[in-house]
Amino acid sequence: MAEKEFTGLAAEVNEVSFSYNNIKAVDELSLQVPTGISFGLLGPNGAGKTTLIRLLVGLLRPRAGSVQILGQTPSRKTAHLIGYMPQLHSLYAELSVMQNVDFFARIYRLTNRHERAQQVEEAIKLVNMWQRRQDPVLKLSGGMRQRVSLACAIVHNPPLLLLDEPTVGLDPELRVTFWEHFASLTKQGVTLIISSHTMDDAAHCDRLAFMRNGKVIAQGTPVELRQATGQPEASLEDAFLYFIHRED
Amino acid sequence: MIPSQASIIAGRVIRQLIRDRRTIVLIVVVPLVVMTLIGLSFPEGNVLNYIAPALLATLALFFSFLLTGISFLRERSQGTMERLMASPVSRLDIVVGYLFGFFIFALTQTLIILLFTIYVLGVHYYGDLWQIFVFQVVVITVAVNLGIFISTFARNEFQMVQFIPLIILPQVFLCGVIWPMEQMPDYLQWLSAILPLTYAVDGLRNIMLTGKSLLDVGFELSVLISFALIISILAAITLRRGTAG
Repeated sequence: MAEKEFTGLAAEVNEVSFSYNNIKAVDELSLQVPTGISFGLLGPNGAGKTTLIRLLVGLLRPRAGSVQILGQTPSRKTAHLIGYMPQLHSLYAELSVMQNVDFFARIYRLTNRHERAQQVEEAIKLVNMWQRRQDPVLKLSGGMRQRVSLACAIVHNPPLLLLDEPTVGLDPELRVTFWEHFASLTKQGVTLIISSHTMDDAAHCDRLAFMRNGKVIAQGTPVELRQATGQPEASLEDAFLYFIHRED
Repeated sequence: MIPSQASIIAGRVIRQLIRDRRTIVLIVVVPLVVMTLIGLSFPEGNVLNYIAPALLATLALFFSFLLTGISFLRERSQGTMERLMASPVSRLDIVVGYLFGFFIFALTQTLIILLFTIYVLGVHYYGDLWQIFVFQVVVITVAVNLGIFISTFARNEFQMVQFIPLIILPQVFLCGVIWPMEQMPDYLQWLSAILPLTYAVDGLRNIMLTGKSLLDVGFELSVLISFALIISILAAITLRRGTAG
């Protein structure tokens, strides 16, 4: 089947469903993510955020509906377009920071040694881990591992980043640092799709999708979602609760 | 030559295991301890001479399966396999990469066992040492592939260990290691015909006890190579992107 023409969207999800052993994780979900923005998938645990991200990466195939990233169906051929940061740190604990990031650079076919060294250095510096580059990952704290994991995801300069709960377990200072990284990436034209269950993260996103029980219950900019409640002082948390009650 | 992406993975696996000093020490020490105990428990040289080929084949299968199965499982449980599956690397590159990476360590263990058996335990053998070694390389290849394949069915180390009595132990009883297969009922003999250890034990016995060459055990070698190929294809299939996790 011919690939659908690129619509200018970073991600397009149409009526997608996915079940694990008859339990619907994603239920006829539709979503459109424009390029060059940070897009937050917000919802409680079990809302289907991780499943949706894995569908976008191509690690799972939808049982129904279609998924497109940058105009193509996710597959091994589109893998170089994506930087994926899973929920687990997913690093090689015995190897150093540098060896981990370099490994993923090589896996993503950065074959020119000089260019690769430069990109590895840039990625490690971007997450402020250059001073610890020779340390094995097993000697790093959880927050530091998150930073190294992010460096592994961005080292090949992908146009689309899929980050599954990247700020979970981070202290407030580090969380701010992460969002500064994300802002600098979107300024460079990179699209970020970030899952989270905290409203602190939601406030940093350009657009949001509130998720619950495998469905998107609302989407828009943080301002639009707050305004939809009809209360000028409403927080994003209030907005989330408003849409939940409206669904019920 | 192995493909470049596979060689990157193999290099990483080797680097990672080498940096795990405790594992390296265990890889060397455990076979030495096991072989010493076996040597002490067989004071009668002739019995040991006879049982040595079957022991060499069984230990190569057991150690290589265990090393590979647990290591590969760790990749899955730590999430690094998922990350690799999200990359542009092909499934075959992943399997071949891990195969070569683990193979070096499985080979080291097998070499230690072989040299210890011959030079320390003083087991007499016919045939050429290099031919015994080459045959063992094929046995390890089967075991490493089997470890990768079986580990895809386990969710944690405890489950993986449960596969040892299911995959390895029956082969010890059914493949002529302890008693001749001819003494078993027909249906068990048919079962033994589809188990790789049967051909590993037969081939190694033919080389070590009767001085046959690799050409003479071509049938056993071909069956083992076929096992390795089929299992590696099955391993690549079970690693497909669409069913990760």
